[in-house]
Amino acid sequence: MLAGLAVTLSAVAVYTAYTAVQMRGLRQLQAETIDRNRADSMLLLRIQNDLNLVNVALRDMLDGGEDYPLTAWQSQFKRLRVDLEDAVTREAQFRPALGPEGPRQYLSASTAQFWDALDRIFTLAQTDEAEARTRIRISLEARQAALTTAVARLLVENNDNEKQAAAQTRQIYARAERNVYLFLAAILVVLLANGLYLVQYNRRMFDQVAALSDRRSELAQQLISMQESTFRYISRELHDEFGQILTAIGAMLQRAGRRAQAVDAPLRTDLKEVQEIVQSTLDKVRTLSQALHPAVIEEAGLETALRQHLPVFEKQTGIHIDYESSGSGPVPDQTVAIHMYRVLQEALNNVARHSKSSRAAVRLRYSSDCVVLEVEDGGVGFDSATRTRGMGLVSMRERAELVHGRLDLINANGGGLLVRLTVPLALTETHA
Amino acid sequence: MRRRDFLLAAASLPVRAAGLGFALTDVTARAGIRFEHNSGAFGAKYLPETMGPGCAFLDYDGDGWLDILLVNGMDWPGHKRRRSTLQLYRNNRNGTFTDVTEQAGLAVEMYGMGVAVADYNNDGFPDVLVTAVGQNRLFQNTGKGHFIDVTEKAGLGGRTAFSMSAVWFDFDRDGHLDLFVCNYVKWAPEHDVFCSVDGKRKSYCTPEAYHGATCWLFHNRGNGTFEDVTAHSGVFDTSSKSLGVAMLDYDRDGWPDLLVTNDTQPNKLYRNRHDGTFEDVAVHADVAFSEDGRARAGMGIDSGDIDRSGVQSIAITNFDGEMMALYRPGADGVYKDIAFSSGVGPASLNSLGFGCVFFDADLDGNLDLFAANGHIDETARNMRGKIGYAQAPQLFLNNGRGVFRDVARQAGEGFATPKVARGAACGDFDNDGDLDLLVTTNQGPAYLYRNDVTNGNRSLRLHLRGTKSNRDAIGAVARISTPEGTESRVVKSGSSYLSQSELALTFGLGRRQRAERLIVEWPSGRVDEHGPLAAGVYQCEEGSKPVQSK
Repeated sequence: MLAGLAVTLSAVAVYTAYTAVQMRGLRQLQAETIDRNRADSMLLLRIQNDLNLVNVALRDMLDGGEDYPLTAWQSQFKRLRVDLEDAVTREAQFRPALGPEGPRQYLSASTAQFWDALDRIFTLAQTDEAEARTRIRISLEARQAALTTAVARLLVENNDNEKQAAAQTRQIYARAERNVYLFLAAILVVLLANGLYLVQYNRRMFDQVAALSDRRSELAQQLISMQESTFRYISRELHDEFGQILTAIGAMLQRAGRRAQAVDAPLRTDLKEVQEIVQSTLDKVRTLSQALHPAVIEEAGLETALRQHLPVFEKQTGIHIDYESSGSGPVPDQTVAIHMYRVLQEALNNVARHSKSSRAAVRLRYSSDCVVLEVEDGGVGFDSATRTRGMGLVSMRERAELVHGRLDLINANGGGLLVRLTVPLALTETHA
Repeated sequence: MRRRDFLLAAASLPVRAAGLGFALTDVTARAGIRFEHNSGAFGAKYLPETMGPGCAFLDYDGDGWLDILLVNGMDWPGHKRRRSTLQLYRNNRNGTFTDVTEQAGLAVEMYGMGVAVADYNNDGFPDVLVTAVGQNRLFQNTGKGHFIDVTEKAGLGGRTAFSMSAVWFDFDRDGHLDLFVCNYVKWAPEHDVFCSVDGKRKSYCTPEAYHGATCWLFHNRGNGTFEDVTAHSGVFDTSSKSLGVAMLDYDRDGWPDLLVTNDTQPNKLYRNRHDGTFEDVAVHADVAFSEDGRARAGMGIDSGDIDRSGVQSIAITNFDGEMMALYRPGADGVYKDIAFSSGVGPASLNSLGFGCVFFDADLDGNLDLFAANGHIDETARNMRGKIGYAQAPQLFLNNGRGVFRDVARQAGEGFATPKVARGAACGDFDNDGDLDLLVTTNQGPAYLYRNDVTNGNRSLRLHLRGTKSNRDAIGAVARISTPEGTESRVVKSGSSYLSQSELALTFGLGRRQRAERLIVEWPSGRVDEHGPLAAGVYQCEEGSKPVQSK
């Protein structure tokens, strides 16, 4: 990905540099050729206009329309001369860089000669107007025509230069256009490759995450299954072995007590105490056995186990439980029932630990395709503080997964938390 | 009163109710002016037919009441139908005029165009130069209610041209008024060119169809004769096609310069070099071409201090589609065209302007601008849609902050009626202290508009009389000071188009009773300064205290 980014940035940098060079070239071309040429053409047009005015003035001098001597035109020509010489001087500064020098030298020299000739004719006109008119006709008009032609040639030359510059400009634009397309294509290829690589890379990452998640889930479920299996084993051992032993000890102590009744009253009292301790131990063992694995589930089903457990919970925690069972449908098998029972235990533990509520409701609803267990409290609800607390939630979710069910934690309308476990009964096979 | 009656009554109120503070009323018929311009048109569509005529306010009999001179054309040779001459109307001092053309010796048939009035011989009576297609004529005022044609005697005879506007001014400041005459193009009936819009029927040609013609400058020798100094002075230019001319002091050196408007050619600004010669600085001053570098069809022109800056701005009327120009002087002798920003430009875009006059219509101290409009082509509307042959005049009211607003429609009943107007002049013919307007139309009547200022504003009017300077004091600059600032006015002949306004100066004082100070810079170089002057009319002689007229 970094390599792709580096390639893209490099391409942009290279293209920017290339474009800057092209623009500089274009600007230079424009400044040196086009602008200069345009300014030069404007000045040539000004010269041409002045020459036309010169022509008009020469015509007026010869046609006799004004009742003035030829020398009257001196002021008019003086104005034209000032403007014409100014234009010729400026034109020399603006002439195209690559233009030939010859035509301009000719124009400059011819203009100077024209004014020199005109001055001479005005001098002559003071003494011989007729001869001055003749010279205007045979000489000045021809000179003026030659000057006009020279300017026209320069304008044509400028026009050719402008055409060349326009062609060069078009080439530069064409090159730039082609390069833009190439650059865009290259950028597209790089972006495409980079995108494909990113897609592949992300897909691998997601696969790894999914596998890890599956493994974690599998491990958790194995752990839960192993835990249940261990609990059941220990429960049975406690119930069957220690229970039998303690029952036997109790029976033996009872028999020994009866024998010692007549012999030794103090011994009988001691045996009675030991018998009570044994009975107490036996009760604790049975309670522990029940806690580790409620055998009542296997014997009488989930609902009976709930009915037994809930009063015990009320007694232990002081939280009043409203239990409700409704609907009808298939009864979950033992494997499913033990997980539902565990979820109930965890949910009630959470109620006791976090809800700060004195009441809770447990609802068991049957339908044709699923059974729903709900534990709702009227406490502080589910917040981020409780969300991260302990392994309880994880355990509940894993158990839900184990029975292909769904666990929902919902903030109840009254402000408490509603834990809902929905278990499809058609898919109640578990690994437990 | 029912609602409908109220609305009808409101609609019938005079438009002066709009609150401009003045009203211009057409008093032509009441004044007894029955002039009809004769262009001589008979179908040949000769170029001069569309150009005239001009008009002038002058006090030819020196009675202190302005009279009116109207220039007329005539029938072309071979197409004689009626007799038409100049017309001189004497002011009866009661709002009416009497045609005194015959008695005054001005019943001369000529193809007249423009008029310039000044006392060129310093005898105390205004003389008249009438420009024409053909021979211009100089009429000397005898002082006895009569003019005599002194064209030949004065040395102005023997030259024919297509002359247009003219101006009297003292370019060498010798105390004798010299004469500048604009010439348009080389045209004569026998060399008339066929021009056509549709390729079949003849139409009026544009000036491109003809060669230009040089303007003329005549130096007054002071003995009643003139010397042609056109060539020597440097104003000779055969490329020009000149229509209007205004005198102004472009470089503020006290020497009169000239700005000449040319039709389809660059305008010329002739700077006075103090040695009897001029140099054209129009390109440098940025008045030769429009802002987009085009030579416009310059027609009429006037100059005036529109912003109380003490220097003169310039207005030039142009062809339709070209906008008027309103040049304001800037730094280094370069003008800036503020027509667009001032509002004059956009409002005049669809008008073909001829006469134009700066005058203070409402006497608030700010010079307003009147433009007489009208096309040259009767079929203009066919080709240009919304641009008609007859066009409404425009009266731009100056708000004193660089903005001009056309109020022609509110200025008086019928004032904005479209006309084919040409000449325009202003003057106080009824001696009520405000400036009235005189307008001529091509192949139509002349119009006299009486101005009645109703807002209570007052004016200070000055009749300057030179002693060392030329008697008319043409070229004199008068400046007054009021708490609102200064106002300056220049005594000038010419300006507008083919026309001549009165030479007296009018300062608007607003509600003020007086001007605090008056400074007069005379063409001789003398400067007179006077103390407070109450509103009213004054005779002000060079070197003397102003005397209030009764």
